[in-house]
Amino acid sequence: MGKRLELLYIIAAVTGFIILFFNIFPILNTFYWTDIDTIKRTIADKEVLVSIWLSVKCASITTIIAFFLGIPLAYYLARHEFKLKNLVESLVDIPMAIPHTVAGICLLTVLSPRSPIGHFLEANNIEALGTEIGIVIAMLFVSMPLLVDSAKDAFKWVPVRMENVSRSLGANQFRTFAGITFILSWRGILSGMIVTWARAISEFGAVIILSYHPMIAPTLIYERFTTYGMKYAIPANIILIFISIIIFIVLRLVSLGGREKYDTY
Amino acid sequence: MIHIKNLNIQLGKFQIKRIELKVKKGEFLILLGPTSAGKSVIIEAIAGLVPIKSGKIMVNNRDITELKPEHRNISICYQDYNLFPHMNVRNNICYGLRFKKDKNNPQYQNNFKALVDLLKLEDILNRLPLNLSGGEQQRVSLARGLIGSPDVLLLDEPLSALDPNIKSSIQEELKNIHQTLHTTIIMVTHDFIEANYLAERVAIIHEGEIIQQGYLEDIFQKPKSVFAARFIGVKNIFWIENPQELSLFGLQKPAYIGIRPENIYVSQHPIHADYYFQGEIGDIQNNQIYMEVKCCNSRRGYRAYLTINRFLELGIKKGLPVHFGFNKENLICIKENK
Repeated sequence: MGKRLELLYIIAAVTGFIILFFNIFPILNTFYWTDIDTIKRTIADKEVLVSIWLSVKCASITTIIAFFLGIPLAYYLARHEFKLKNLVESLVDIPMAIPHTVAGICLLTVLSPRSPIGHFLEANNIEALGTEIGIVIAMLFVSMPLLVDSAKDAFKWVPVRMENVSRSLGANQFRTFAGITFILSWRGILSGMIVTWARAISEFGAVIILSYHPMIAPTLIYERFTTYGMKYAIPANIILIFISIIIFIVLRLVSLGGREKYDTY
Repeated sequence: MIHIKNLNIQLGKFQIKRIELKVKKGEFLILLGPTSAGKSVIIEAIAGLVPIKSGKIMVNNRDITELKPEHRNISICYQDYNLFPHMNVRNNICYGLRFKKDKNNPQYQNNFKALVDLLKLEDILNRLPLNLSGGEQQRVSLARGLIGSPDVLLLDEPLSALDPNIKSSIQEELKNIHQTLHTTIIMVTHDFIEANYLAERVAIIHEGEIIQQGYLEDIFQKPKSVFAARFIGVKNIFWIENPQELSLFGLQKPAYIGIRPENIYVSQHPIHADYYFQGEIGDIQNNQIYMEVKCCNSRRGYRAYLTINRFLELGIKKGLPVHFGFNKENLICIKENK
């Protein structure tokens, strides 16, 4: 006798199929709308390449900044209970609940010369609006919570007692963090960085409000779509899909590599 | 020598109160108490891992109360081993040496050899913790804690997570380590049998306080309270106030008495014992390696342990008339008032 078919599994199979179809089909379907020649021409299109490179660059810078800003807080939140912890965690996650154009406008008010921060930037000749700085700020705002949350979860997997043992053996807090905690949670943090990066490169709403120019790839595609229509938006679309997916897969493989090695807990 | 003076700890609503402890160099002290009595918190405080409210911790006349854990030279081992999963056994054991100022001291090399020998780790030095059994992991964790010659080794229920037969072999190794290396050891356990086997001195902890401490024999023979008596395995504890019984047990005034179940002799024939009763068998409980039977006379029931052989030999069943009793030296007087 084979496995009994449980109703819940049948439902899971059907809904699972719907989800996969919903995720994959629109992406694949784009290919029907164009041909190899157009794609070749688009690859040679400097404007497209520049925008894609800008997207990749800004998303990467964003991820690195998020890493250095987010890791210490994530570690503290993973290890300590305090009165206002819930509040702090909610504040960290707030950007995820705000529509992105709204977030963009909020940031714009801060960066405009009428706010103290905007004024300070202006006084020091730092231009944020309409530059790469603006792009990174927009990306950082929407993607930072993902890094903090996933790093926090990763740190929680390392038992406090393991750190205690390390301390009692003579390692100070920093060396314990670097030699034990961080190494053991590195894979989880890397997954978090991938999600952060993916979130950053896909950001559009907040970015166009702060920096329509220089154009990141989503802005360029949006502009081509509104000005010239589908036919001209799709080839750039396809290239961006390719690049995003390839980077995503590569990072994913890196973060999964050697998983069995010491997954004991 | 370790001297803990009036240690108080507040963790949320839980309190550790007025802990006074003295442990001599090379001594094996066991903190004995039920789950969540606060034993682990006390040893973590000694290691500097939980903040204390007040009190002093002195080691070899050095006040370490304010020192960070890494400067105390006190190792801790937990019941769940906590080996570093990304390092092989050798690197786990030698981890602490990286942080020693005198890391090239040949003494550590000797320690390493001695510990590998003592704990039989030779064959697993290159393995990752993932591939080790619980017993092997605990042995590695002990070696890791001992290699730097700590002033004190703290053990938090080191035997609790192990299978019974592995447990007894690690228990023996612990005793062996203590006798060979003369390390000062403070161990936490809830199991009085472990305490009985390993400890020189025992402190019984109850709800965050030490309710009694002293040499093993003293504690086992003269528990000061009903709680302590019960916790060290005295299963028969009775309040004696009837004049007839008072004179039988030689008591001046009403008091608690206790008798360990293993000290009660049971027979089908009259026996010679300082205290001798007749009655019948009540409840019977099978504890796998021994039988626990209740011998009831007209006043009360006494719990007695019998080996399975003895149990079968006597043909014991519920309601069987029996003679039973115990001797004076096994009578425990508990100095607690009702």
